[in-house]
Amino acid sequence: MTLTILAVDDSRTMRDLLKQALSEAGFLVHTADDGVHGLETLEGCAPDVIITDINMPRMDGFGFIEAVRRDERRRRIPILTLTTESAPEMKQRARAAGATGWIVKPFDKDKLVAAIRRVAA
Amino acid sequence: MTGSSAPPPARVIHVLQGDFAVSSDPAVMLTAVLGSCVSACLHDPNAGVGGMNHFLLPDGGPERRDARLYGVHLMELLINELLRQGARKDRLIAKLFGGGRVVAGLTDIGAGNAAFARRFMKDEGIWCAAESLGGDFGRRVRYWPATGVARALQLSSIEPSPPPRPARNLEVSDGEVELF
Repeated sequence: MTLTILAVDDSRTMRDLLKQALSEAGFLVHTADDGVHGLETLEGCAPDVIITDINMPRMDGFGFIEAVRRDERRRRIPILTLTTESAPEMKQRARAAGATGWIVKPFDKDKLVAAIRRVAA
Repeated sequence: MTGSSAPPPARVIHVLQGDFAVSSDPAVMLTAVLGSCVSACLHDPNAGVGGMNHFLLPDGGPERRDARLYGVHLMELLINELLRQGARKDRLIAKLFGGGRVVAGLTDIGAGNAAFARRFMKDEGIWCAAESLGGDFGRRVRYWPATGVARALQLSSIEPSPPPRPARNLEVSDGEVELF
């Protein structure tokens, strides 16, 4: 079965790279520009896994994760953060907000795909 | 610097390849010597903060995804530090330098780096106010991050530069995955 992914990142360059890498891996990829757009996009797609950046305008990754988790229908969707940040307190904040995992950029395609398959299983 | 609007720098920071620096201190000047490398200088006039990176895409240039990933990564590290110091991405103004063809060869490495930087700014909606890219010479760039003032000096011959080294985060992380 084709896994559907929602990737949220404010950088168009990064969205394009993610879309390209994950499409090649056989996933169906939706993208959104920031947390607010991510929540809007969720109304029109039912992703198996969500990938989100942390630093974004309007609504950052923490706010986005919390908003997704508040929604009863989306409480169980795995959410992976994908960020340049690696500070333990930021990881802890993401975990408390309801993130499933933390991946440090620059992403390695094979590791990212493996992580997606693992959390989607 | 007689007649210059920029104050004499009290602190000079050399930005080496694979690295970046950010400051809002008017006494700080950032500088780099560029051959085929590119430096992106970014400034938020409202926040009075700016910064500069210094990158060379790995072999293959912007056609290869891992090369673009590396370039995007150095851009993102710079932008994230700017945001942390009060900048906003939609207010950033870019100045681009470098990308010279300083080594005769089949592939123009400098042009690949310059094209990547231009494309990145365009795709991210960051206004590029000035650029000095390409040519068959190196440059010494000076940048005052607090004001966004930049100067580029054409070099007749490239001074020896330190060997390429990976960005600091690349040393500790290669898409490291941690599941909670």
